[in-house]
Amino acid sequence: QPQADAEKFVLRFNHVLAPTEPYHQGFLNWAEQVRVRSNGRLTIEVSHSAALGREEDIIEQLRMGANIGQNTDSARLGMYVPAIAVMNAPFFIETIDDVVKLKELPTVQQWLKELELKFGIKVLSFQWVQGLRHMVTNVPIRHPRDLAGLRIRTPGAPIWQESVRAIGATPVALPFGEIYTALQTDAIDGAELVYRNVIGAKLWETADYFSETGHILLINFSIVGRAWFDSLPEELQTILIEENMKAGLATSRGMEADIAAARELLIANGMTIVTDVDRAAFRAAGNAAYTVLNLTAARDQIYKELGRPTP
Amino acid sequence: MALVFVLFLLFMMMGMPVAFAIGISGAVFFVQLGTLPMTIPVQLFLTQSQNFVLLAIPLFVFAGNLLNETGITNRLLKLSSILVGHYRAGLAQVTVVLSAMMGGISGSAIADASMQGRILRDGMLARGYSRGFSAGIIGTSSLIVTMIPPSIGLVLYGSIGEVSIGRLFAAGIVPGLLLTAMLFAGVAYVARRKGYQPERQTRAPLKEMASTFLECIWAFFFPIILMVGLRMGIFTPSEAGAFAVVYALVIGILVYKELTWKKFLKTLESTAVDIGMIMLVINMSAIFSYGITWERLPETLAYALLGLSSVPWVIMLIIVLFLLVAGMFMDSTVLILLLTSIFVPVAGTLGIDLVHFGIVMVLTLTVGLLTPPLGVVMFVVCSIFECSVIEFVKESWIFMALVVLVVLLVIFFPGLVLFLPNLFFGT
Amino acid sequence: MKALARIYDLICRAEMTLVKGGIAILTGLVFVSAVARTLGRPVGWAVDIAIFLFVWCVFFCADIAMRQGKLVTVDIVTMHLPKRARYYLQFVNNTLIVVFLLFLIRYSIPLAYTSRFVRFQGISWFSYTWVVISMPIGATLLLITTVLKMREHYIKGC
Ligand code: NA
Ligand code: NA
Repeated sequence: QPQADAEKFVLRFNHVLAPTEPYHQGFLNWAEQVRVRSNGRLTIEVSHSAALGREEDIIEQLRMGANIGQNTDSARLGMYVPAIAVMNAPFFIETIDDVVKLKELPTVQQWLKELELKFGIKVLSFQWVQGLRHMVTNVPIRHPRDLAGLRIRTPGAPIWQESVRAIGATPVALPFGEIYTALQTDAIDGAELVYRNVIGAKLWETADYFSETGHILLINFSIVGRAWFDSLPEELQTILIEENMKAGLATSRGMEADIAAARELLIANGMTIVTDVDRAAFRAAGNAAYTVLNLTAARDQIYKELGRPTP
Repeated sequence: MALVFVLFLLFMMMGMPVAFAIGISGAVFFVQLGTLPMTIPVQLFLTQSQNFVLLAIPLFVFAGNLLNETGITNRLLKLSSILVGHYRAGLAQVTVVLSAMMGGISGSAIADASMQGRILRDGMLARGYSRGFSAGIIGTSSLIVTMIPPSIGLVLYGSIGEVSIGRLFAAGIVPGLLLTAMLFAGVAYVARRKGYQPERQTRAPLKEMASTFLECIWAFFFPIILMVGLRMGIFTPSEAGAFAVVYALVIGILVYKELTWKKFLKTLESTAVDIGMIMLVINMSAIFSYGITWERLPETLAYALLGLSSVPWVIMLIIVLFLLVAGMFMDSTVLILLLTSIFVPVAGTLGIDLVHFGIVMVLTLTVGLLTPPLGVVMFVVCSIFECSVIEFVKESWIFMALVVLVVLLVIFFPGLVLFLPNLFFGT
Repeated sequence: MKALARIYDLICRAEMTLVKGGIAILTGLVFVSAVARTLGRPVGWAVDIAIFLFVWCVFFCADIAMRQGKLVTVDIVTMHLPKRARYYLQFVNNTLIVVFLLFLIRYSIPLAYTSRFVRFQGISWFSYTWVVISMPIGATLLLITTVLKMREHYIKGC
């Protein structure tokens, strides 16, 4: 059908990160590849810093059929399909390779299908991995007991709060933008972030230690509305998904490769990187979060499908 | 989008309440476009009041109204008439100094203007200052708050542009003080021209000063105690308003013993009205901004303008003029969000220090809070003082001109801005 | 008619009482949340509830401000117009406001329904729908106020 071929589609894709973050470039690369492969029939316009709106609002809009997409996390998707939140739990998985394996698992496929059919949310891919989250504090953190009594800033969702509580700290929900000043005035004792965040906010000016607890691997999802997705010709659907996976994986690997340089930069700015962290102790402590949030069954099922022993 | 702008101006001219003029014209965009769900305007309105940072506004409004009923305001007025009563329009000088002090606590000009408008309104009118002049100086001086750290605008710029927030904060201090000094001079000039007499002929004798100071010490300590609390990490800038309220309550009940249950309820009533008129404008403007964001209007215009020249100072001038005009039509927060990532690389290639540029950008955009057609601070002070926009502009254009002068000084003398951050953080 | 007026008067008083309580409580919650964090025992829900109260307060406050005629207007042009023109303009303005409020009510209802899965600030037992329904209710109050103003305006005449 020549008429359908001529029809042009536009997707506005929103994310909350700064335009200097590698993710932004990653999304731009995705947009460019899609434009090229679709001969300009599908255009993606990327908005950074949540310029298009709040994550929760965007998700509602795309569910209602708007041509909008969003970079989101499993904590938010867990509002619709609760088990998905497990991907945000402490020490659930720890490498990008594991994330790649996850997408093939029947249980994960089933979660995604439920999101799509029941809630109208189409996941393009979740190959966007921001990396492991560590602790920015003014004291070295080697063991969960070092976190006792420390007020650690974390996002507001329950999975974040309980994960941080499980590994020994007191979670405090503050907006990302307030971390710098809150650290400076000691309104909080620390924050848990990935390397890139520490550089972006120049937190070496207000904190001395970055302890590699690696308690959460932050996985992001690219989502669009099912109604809009279904309105695309099949060919464009394929392009959209394949290129999203490719760009996501490339960005994730790139960020992983950048960690060595990030470490150097932090050290050069006077921060101490703590690497001799008792990961086993943290891992054991992290288990509590699964119990509190009722995610043990989901985790065990995934581990079974991955062929891993359950703790 | 052109239709939206035209309708907005038309509705305002028709005398429709500003909040609805903004909201209705903003909603027209969605109807016109037809492809977006109509639920978005509803969402935008609701999301605006779920912003923790905006929660500072009702808290400071409440604090301002409470300070009036607890006797703190009266003592503040008494103290200031002893300290600056020999100046012309001494109370107008007080609001300038007060904003400089509040600058160290709050990061929101809207919150500051609404609080001080409430505190000083009756005193200023009783002393015969015109409504336009009083609203003008309270509105203009509230911009000081956005420069002296903490500042919401600078945090936003720093996070998006990945510029050190610490450096930006240090850099804001001198422009903040410069604004204070300029407005001080501006008030002296305008007061002389308008013939506002000093309350007293001579400086108060030292003894009288000392005794009044002691009597009014809790009013004087109000901003100081808040500042100490903030620096000690007891609260964050967004929470400061709640502490101001508690401070006013404690002093009003335990020290001055002027606050009764009846007065407290009355305060809540007037606070409700203030919150209604302020927040309705702010929430509706979220609907209006969306269309501009969706159409990528600021970005498109910015790129077009940047293409006009390659001479560094011309580009800088274009940017500043553009920000000045854009600020008149849109909320400064939204503009920082949209434009930082476009202008920061440009400033970088021109060899402009990004801390310096951030101060110029945020300061220029905040001027828009005071100007028609869409200036939120202007709407706030005009409604508190019950004065028309015309009166406001007529009597405060000198203050706005002084703010622009500070912007120019900051542009041409980067040393003014960069001196402190270099001192604190090294070069 | 009289009974209606009495009911409306009751609504107005209830609105004012709720708002007073709301403002006082939300201030207290922000204060408590800061103190608790300083003492090392943060209470995350305090600010969440404060924000929730804020959303509702905005509507009630706006309604009160509107009823008292405190909403800001720009009278640059209208002040120069003859009385008759102003009378009709105000009628046009109010009609547009009524249409807009109906629009907000119409579209807030489906949003309230689809938002039932969204958790407010991530609280598992608290649906975002409770936030969204502040819109149909708040807008209805504003609608009543506008219509009453129009009626008053009409009765008073030119
Ligand atoms: Na002031
Ligand atoms: Na400030």
